[in-house]
Amino acid sequence: MAKTYDYLFKLLLIGDSGVGKTSILFRFSEDAFNISFISTIGIDFKIRTIDLDGKKVKLQIWDTAGQERFRTITTAYYRGSMGIMLVYDVTNEKSFENIKNWIRNIEENASADVEKMILGNKCDLDSKRQVSKERGEQLAIEYQIKFVETSAKDSLNVEYAFFTLARDIKAKMEKKQEASNPAPRTGGHQLRANEQQRKPTSWLSRCSLL
Amino acid sequence: MSSSSVDEITEQTKDLFTQDGVLLKAAMGRMVQDLNSIGMLCIVQNGDGTKCIEWRPNDLITIDSDTQDQEWAVVNTIGRRQRTLSGNMTSDYATARARIIKIPLEDLKTFRVTRNNQQMQFSTKPGVWQTTFYFQHGNAEIFVAYLKNHVKTAKTRHDRNTYVVVEPNIETQVLNRSFAELDIFTENTTDVVWNLVSNFKQRPYETTMEAFSKLTDIVYYGNEGMNGKRDVSEEVADLLTKSMSALEDSTTVTRTGEYEVVSVKPTLPPRPCIPRGTPLSTEKWEGLQDTEGRVTEVEGVKQLIFRGGVAHSIRQSVWKYLLDYYPWRMTHSELRSLQRKRTEEYFSMKLQWRSMTDGQEARFSEYRDRKSLVEKDVNRTDRTHPFFAGDNNPNLIVLQDILMTYVMYNFDLGYVQGMSDILAPLLLLMGNEVDSFWCFVGFMDKIASNFDMDQAGMKHQLLQLQQLLLFASPELAQHLQQKDSGNMYFCFRWLLVWFKREFSHRDIMRLWEVLWTGLPCSNFHLLVCVAILDAEKDIFISKDYGFTEILKHVNDLSMCLDVDRILSSAEGIYHQVVSAPHLTDQIRIILGIPPLNTTTSTSSDEATTSQSVQQANGTGDGSAEAAERDMEEDTLEYDGIQIKIVTKTVWALLA
Ligand SMILES: Nc1nc2c(ncn2[C@@H]2O[C@H](COP(=O)(O)OP(=O)(O)OP(=O)(O)O)[C@@H](O)[C@H]2O)c(=O)[nH]1
Ligand SMILES: [Mg+2]
Repeated sequence: MAKTYDYLFKLLLIGDSGVGKTSILFRFSEDAFNISFISTIGIDFKIRTIDLDGKKVKLQIWDTAGQERFRTITTAYYRGSMGIMLVYDVTNEKSFENIKNWIRNIEENASADVEKMILGNKCDLDSKRQVSKERGEQLAIEYQIKFVETSAKDSLNVEYAFFTLARDIKAKMEKKQEASNPAPRTGGHQLRANEQQRKPTSWLSRCSLL
Repeated sequence: MSSSSVDEITEQTKDLFTQDGVLLKAAMGRMVQDLNSIGMLCIVQNGDGTKCIEWRPNDLITIDSDTQDQEWAVVNTIGRRQRTLSGNMTSDYATARARIIKIPLEDLKTFRVTRNNQQMQFSTKPGVWQTTFYFQHGNAEIFVAYLKNHVKTAKTRHDRNTYVVVEPNIETQVLNRSFAELDIFTENTTDVVWNLVSNFKQRPYETTMEAFSKLTDIVYYGNEGMNGKRDVSEEVADLLTKSMSALEDSTTVTRTGEYEVVSVKPTLPPRPCIPRGTPLSTEKWEGLQDTEGRVTEVEGVKQLIFRGGVAHSIRQSVWKYLLDYYPWRMTHSELRSLQRKRTEEYFSMKLQWRSMTDGQEARFSEYRDRKSLVEKDVNRTDRTHPFFAGDNNPNLIVLQDILMTYVMYNFDLGYVQGMSDILAPLLLLMGNEVDSFWCFVGFMDKIASNFDMDQAGMKHQLLQLQQLLLFASPELAQHLQQKDSGNMYFCFRWLLVWFKREFSHRDIMRLWEVLWTGLPCSNFHLLVCVAILDAEKDIFISKDYGFTEILKHVNDLSMCLDVDRILSSAEGIYHQVVSAPHLTDQIRIILGIPPLNTTTSTSSDEATTSQSVQQANGTGDGSAEAAERDMEEDTLEYDGIQIKIVTKTVWALLA
């Protein structure tokens, strides 16, 4: 069967329970919102294929349970992730403080070169806000990670966030390919094929060609 | 190349034990092309008496052809074998020899056995596993048993699968002692033979290998180590004859040319199709109580519920018993006073958190954390069901109150996601805060380990599930293992909340009440998992589903499962498993069946197992329950199937 995409990226949503990971994913994959969405037990993923600078990029987005207790199980699924969304809830101080722990968790369980992004979700709930946008930005600068406030409910910045993360992964990947093969680019396909052969276990091998 | 060399002497080696079909999975500093190639794992004695573990790739074995490429090669290698390398060594052969992996036993520090006993790793340096092997045929059990005859080991406390070598090379020490350690022929010899034969019937393959491995030493060392004991050759001969004839009974032997290919393919007896019964009705339920309300036939009630569940009209009452809120043998009036007591108890616990001031709460972060988790989940629990739907639904407040009170009841456990899923159907049925709470407590007691802080309970169950699946549906288990899904994590949701997310409200009530009976064995819920997976086996295998597809497929089964069909096949699988001739102690323990002590089999064990062996060789249809016939007096026949039942009264009700 012919593949209907140029790249396959595996992404991961992590963050405390109730910050809105499933809602963000639901917004991105179905463009819908459900106030009484069920909590996530275990792990699941959704797929959406996007168009990125003329390439079809299939995003396989994994959604995990947020409660700390389940971390030993959920981290098993970090493997092979190319991008991670770290989500906190702007109306919940604790979830913001925990971002640091989640970053440590990534460092221990995901590949070192994984792309990251911090999302401050539920920014529609301004009256209940506990974490200012400035503090979010500050944290992002500290870790040198991109940051954006989102609302799954009002569909604010959700598309932007996923497109940004996907674009960063794609750029990083293409840069690596050039670095690994300094010969003039005659065709990207050739280069990618080489790369795949050379490093069969790297995350690059997960990118599939048309 | 014709002159002899020193090599000839140093290469005078003897294979003490060989195991074929061993895949090299990982090795430090190895060429990639050697990885994943098949070979033979051996324990070898060198010319100078030292020993080592050797792995030889298969293409090399063909050159070195005095070892037949078969699992039973040990038979041929009992005697002394000599390899003359310097004679006609080709360059191919030289490169091939370079690919041999050698681990001197003197250097061996630790080894471990993982992946359902199929993977073995060795280390000569603390902290690194230098080599990893995968046993394609059978498992590493025999190899380990044999290795333990050559090195003295101790299991590490933190990891039951890891062995630390405490004394390398037993046999280089005093031989007498080594024989004591071998633990054979030091006891009364006839007992040894008898035990071996009886073991043999349960585990023909392993026992024979063990026997052979021990005999190897006898043959090699002669009677040196016997220290004046009488000649054992008679017993040995006897043992061998018995083993071999029993072996022929339970295995297929194909003669091809000069050597025998012996393959042991243990198969399960056919799966009986056991129909589900009708639910426990009001009349039957009342008939099973005495005039004062005591339930007289507890086991019988459980049998009936296991068979067909509970009629909805009496669920509210029956569940309180099943969930250990009401003791079965209490009278109506005793129950009334119990209820009063429990009501008071509940409200005093509820008061504890209700009376907490904002200031207290602000200084009590552990409480605050639990409370916020509860709040988040209450808003996300079964909101599509009319009982919990809509804004400001008062039932949500009750749900929250019960969960908060449970936090006070068991503060250490606190609130864990999934608990609201467990509570919702109870509240829906009971419609009463106090009753729901105590039923919830009873349910939580049954599954508390699911919510362990370190998830040890969940991991343990996932492992047990893996072991059960490997026994009951080996083909599927192997597929999952190949697809990196052997850890069964994709069943996490099923196990955590006992399938709550997989079935409709109506069906989950049926499933839970059946599982609460604890029949027909421990961990029946794991057999339910096996039944669901086994039904999907063909899809997984024919479509060659990988890691992600397996997870997706399993998640998507939610709300597409037929509860009665699954219960029926889970019961069928149970009968298949327990009457399998090769049933292992590992599986027995999971199912709560007393393990057979392999060294001190009693005569009744003997009788049962020999019966099982016969069954396996018989035509095999319908005889699955025959093994149980003698064990249970009250075994009755139901549609041609033997079912254990407690009393005739219950049987009459069931009919
Ligand atoms: N107002 C508002 N509510 C949101 C938003 N995103 C999520 N929520 C609500 O927050 C609650 C939790 O959202 P989920 O998406 O289930 O949270 P989660 O991070 O997936 O939580 P776990 O599965 O428990 O790890 C739900 O009740 C959502 O309706 C948002 O952008 N705005
Ligand atoms: Mg979620």
